[in-house]
Order: sequence, then structure tokens, then C-alpha cells
Amino acid sequence: MGEPATAMLKPEAKSEPAGRRTSRWKKHLWGYLFILPAIVIFILFLWVPIIKGAVYSFFTIDFVKGNTFVGFDNYARVLHDPDVWTAVKNTLYYMFLTVIIGFWVPIVASIAISELRFFQGFARIAAYLPFVVPGVVLYGMWRWMYDPVGPINGLLSSFGVEPVSFISDGRWSMISIVFMETWQQFGSAMLIYLAGVLSIPRDWYEAAEIDGAGVWNRIRYITIPSIRNLIVLMFILQIIGTSQAYQSQLALLDGGPNNTTLTYALLIVKYAFNQLDYGSATALGMLMFIVLSLLGLLQFKMNKEDY
Amino acid sequence: MSQHDRGILSFSDLKKPLNKVVYGIMVLGIAVMVVTMLYPILMTMFNGLKTNQEVNSFPPHFFPQTWNWGNFSEGWDYINLPMFLKNTILIFVGNLLMTVLVLGLASFSISKLNVPFRRGIYFFILMTLFIPASSYIIPNFVNLKELGLLNTYWAFWLPAGASAYYFLLMKNFFDGIHPEIFEAARIDGASELTSYVRIAVPLSVPIFATLAIFIFSTAWNDWFWPSLVMHSEEKYTLATAIYKYVINARSMDNNIKFTILFMVMIPPIFVFLVFQRFIMRSVSLSAVKG
Repeated sequence: MGEPATAMLKPEAKSEPAGRRTSRWKKHLWGYLFILPAIVIFILFLWVPIIKGAVYSFFTIDFVKGNTFVGFDNYARVLHDPDVWTAVKNTLYYMFLTVIIGFWVPIVASIAISELRFFQGFARIAAYLPFVVPGVVLYGMWRWMYDPVGPINGLLSSFGVEPVSFISDGRWSMISIVFMETWQQFGSAMLIYLAGVLSIPRDWYEAAEIDGAGVWNRIRYITIPSIRNLIVLMFILQIIGTSQAYQSQLALLDGGPNNTTLTYALLIVKYAFNQLDYGSATALGMLMFIVLSLLGLLQFKMNKEDY
Repeated sequence: MSQHDRGILSFSDLKKPLNKVVYGIMVLGIAVMVVTMLYPILMTMFNGLKTNQEVNSFPPHFFPQTWNWGNFSEGWDYINLPMFLKNTILIFVGNLLMTVLVLGLASFSISKLNVPFRRGIYFFILMTLFIPASSYIIPNFVNLKELGLLNTYWAFWLPAGASAYYFLLMKNFFDGIHPEIFEAARIDGASELTSYVRIAVPLSVPIFATLAIFIFSTAWNDWFWPSLVMHSEEKYTLATAIYKYVINARSMDNNIKFTILFMVMIPPIFVFLVFQRFIMRSVSLSAVKG
């Protein structure tokens, strides 16, 4: 597959000798036929829900009697609901915790594992293994790990610490969830960083060492700057992901105790499926969409100034 | 990777005593991490083999005192696992077929067939990636309800063709195939459909395998969305059934609970261990490119 051969074929492909006689439409008939199902499905199952989300937020949804237009009532309702502000606060707290507890772990782990001379493959597999554990198994597993008579409290009691109810104590519940999710998910982020760390040319370290840079300075001035873009990307992805989290909070605690794990997305789900108020739920979704888009725009602007 | 001659540290670094200590601490840290990763998984397995009293005793033992293999048959009969398994497999196979047919053909067409307006269509599909999923989860549900698809497998199969991320992965893959192969096929008289079925698909086995693994893990792990869409018990997926009947069970023997959790965990772990090189490579590639 030599490059020159392609270069010679390319212009011919575009000059379309037979294309002049048959119509343009007929020529691309198959091309369009191939795309058509995808377009129909994208409209029906993505664009329609997205646009309906904007429309429904101004309606009361009733599957039996039909929808009625209520103007901004749904928005007024959710903005006057104290639970919404609790949920916003909890979501910010959760995002903060995932950064404090979870964000740095895969970075440190990837640098450490890249330096392993033996069993590097094994360490990688072990770190990634929790990622393939299904969510429902994760919840059952960790509910028991956190149990007042579970292994973590068993370990603590051997140091003479009083048992902690990690899940049902409101001060600990969100931290416990973040810790559990870090356990499950850091392996996949670690692999991404590891690919970045291992792609740094070895000569750079060699040169730095000859110039007298110590180990710490090599990490500080070579390794970290080389994966800086990756770190920024992962940070943005994490913020987008964690701002929408609700499944662990729902499965382990249903937002309790005392609404301490009620996140914003969980509140959307509760509005819809506990109170059957789909209109207000879509209004909450729209508000989230607006906030996240503004953040995205801001980030885009800042990025543009960077370059 | 053990064959590379140096990393951040060189061999002369490791001769200095301070570095030796730090390196030792680092290795110890990794060892602790490996134990932390494996402990809950092994504990789930061993708890599933204990008697119920032993699971509930404090402090917990790691290895069972008696190995109760009978727990497996008891766990297998506790809920109708084969039926839920069948539902999960049905969703997995249908989703995979839809992805290969709908998204595969579309990405092939965008990538290789030079259709007019392909940039516009590409943009139309990719735009959906930038809209946060949880902002339209409720309208999505209402939409499925209005289309009358709730409690049918079509509620999974049809939307499976609407994944911009999988579309992007496949389009990137097709972009990497040399166009001259398709030119040669066209000169030999192959139609567009033949080019796709006979040339593009066989060449794309790696990307289809990656997608198959992603789709399998979604079908196997997703418990929340199926619990909304399917409201009759005989249509539940495995994860939904486990959530409803095992995780939320009030009076259930803990050892049997762990046996079932362990059985549910085996297939994904098995798939991972068999394809681990392949999976770990695609994880790091998908992110570095995206």
C-alpha cells in the first residue's frame, strides 16, 4: 500500500467520468440510502427528545387527559422548591469530593506503575478489574464492605476505633459513595494516563539526568507537563460526568439520609417517577442543560485564548 | 514493558539509598492498591461459599471455614436467572446488529462514498454528543411512551442506532482504510453494498469487536434505564432483576446474595481476562484520539 499509488488514484476518483451522464442524485443513491436509516433514528430517538425537552418544560404532562400549556409555571415551581437548592449544593459537594478523593489517584498510579520493573502487566489488570464489575454487584459488595460489622469496620476496630456507619451516617454517606466509585473507576482513567506517560521519549529523562535533574524534578518538569493536556481533558470530562451523577446515590441510599445524597440529576428522576411531574422534571433538565452549555462555552472561549 | 532499559528512574538512581527507600515505598503503595482492588472481589466470591452465620459474624474471615458449593444451585434457583439472562442477551444481540447495520452503513457512506452534504450530516450526528444525557432522559422516556415502545425490546434496539460516539469510532476506523481498495472493487464491478459487506466489514473486525465489548458491558451493567422502560417482570434484564430482587431484598440470606452477585460478575470478568490486551489497548486509544 504505497503512498504514491494513492496519490495517483485520488484525482481520478474525483473526476467521475461516468458522473456527467447519470444525474447526481442517482449516482449517490446508495450513499444516501446507507445514511437514511441513521438520520431517521437520530431524529426520532435523539433530536425529538431533545427538542421535546424544551417544549415539555412549558407543559403539564398528562398521559390520559393530554398535555396543557402552563407557561413558566414549572420553572417557578422548581425554583421555589428548597430541595432543588439542597440538590445543587449536594451536587457541588459531590463534584468537589470526586476531585479531592478521586482525581489525582489515577495520575499518581499511572506514574508509579510505569516505573514498575516487574509485574507491571499484573498491576494494570488488577487496577482495571473493578471497572468491569457490574454496578449492581458493586452496590451489594460495598454495602457489605461499609456495614457496621463489615471488613472496613473490622479493620478499624483492630486499631481500637469505634464502628462508623459509613452509609447511613449523613456525614459519611457522600464520602463513602465517592470512595466506592473511585475504587471502581480509577483503573480506566489510569490506563489512559499510562498510555500518555509511556509515550514520553526515554531520552528526555536521560538528558535531564545528565544535566543533573533529580527524580522529583524529572517528574515535575517532564512527566507532568507532557500529560498536562490529558489531565485537563480528563478534568473536564470528570466535571461533565459528575455533575450528572445519580445512580449510586439512588441505588445505595435513595438520596437519603435526610437528603444528604440527593443530587440534582437524582432530583430530576424523582420529580418524574415519584411525583409523576414530567413537566417540572424536564424544566430541571433544561436548567441543567443551560448551565452546562454556558460552562462549555466559557471553557471553549478560554481554550481559544490559550492558543 | 519490563524490557525498557529505563523509565523516569535510571539504574544508577536506584543505587542511591534515598531513592531506594522511596522506590520501595512506591512498590508497597502499588501492592496495597492491588490488594484493595482484589479484596472486595475475592471477598464476594468467598462470602458466596460461606454459611449464612459465617457471613454475618464479626470480624469477618477471608476464607470460608466450610466450602458450601450448594449455595450455587440455591442461588441459581432463587430468581429466574435463565429468563433474565435471555432478555439481556436479546438486547445485546439486537443492539449490536442495529449498530453494525445502521451506524456501520452510515459511517461507511460518510467516510468512503463522497456523498454531497456529508459534512452537514456528520455535524448533525456529532452535535448530539455535546448535549448532556441527563438533561433529556425524561423527555426520552416520555417520547418512547408516546411511540408505544415501552415494555418492548424495540425500545432498546431502535435507539441503539442513535449513538454518536459509536458512529465516530467507526467513521474514524473507516477513514483509516485505504480508498484504493474500494476503487479497485468498483472497477471490478462491485456495487456499494457489496463493497460494504464484502470488503469493509471483514476489514473492520477489530472495531466491531471493540463495539461488541462496549455494547455487551452496557447491556450487562445497565440497571436503571431498563427498570424504567420494562415494567413487566418477564422482560427485566439481568441487572434490573438483581437490583430489584437481590440488592433491595429485605429478608434474604446474605451468603446466597453474594453467590448471586458472584455469578453475575463472572461473565464480564471472564470476557475481560480473555480479551484484556485488546480491551486495555482500545481504552487508551479511544481516549487519546477523542
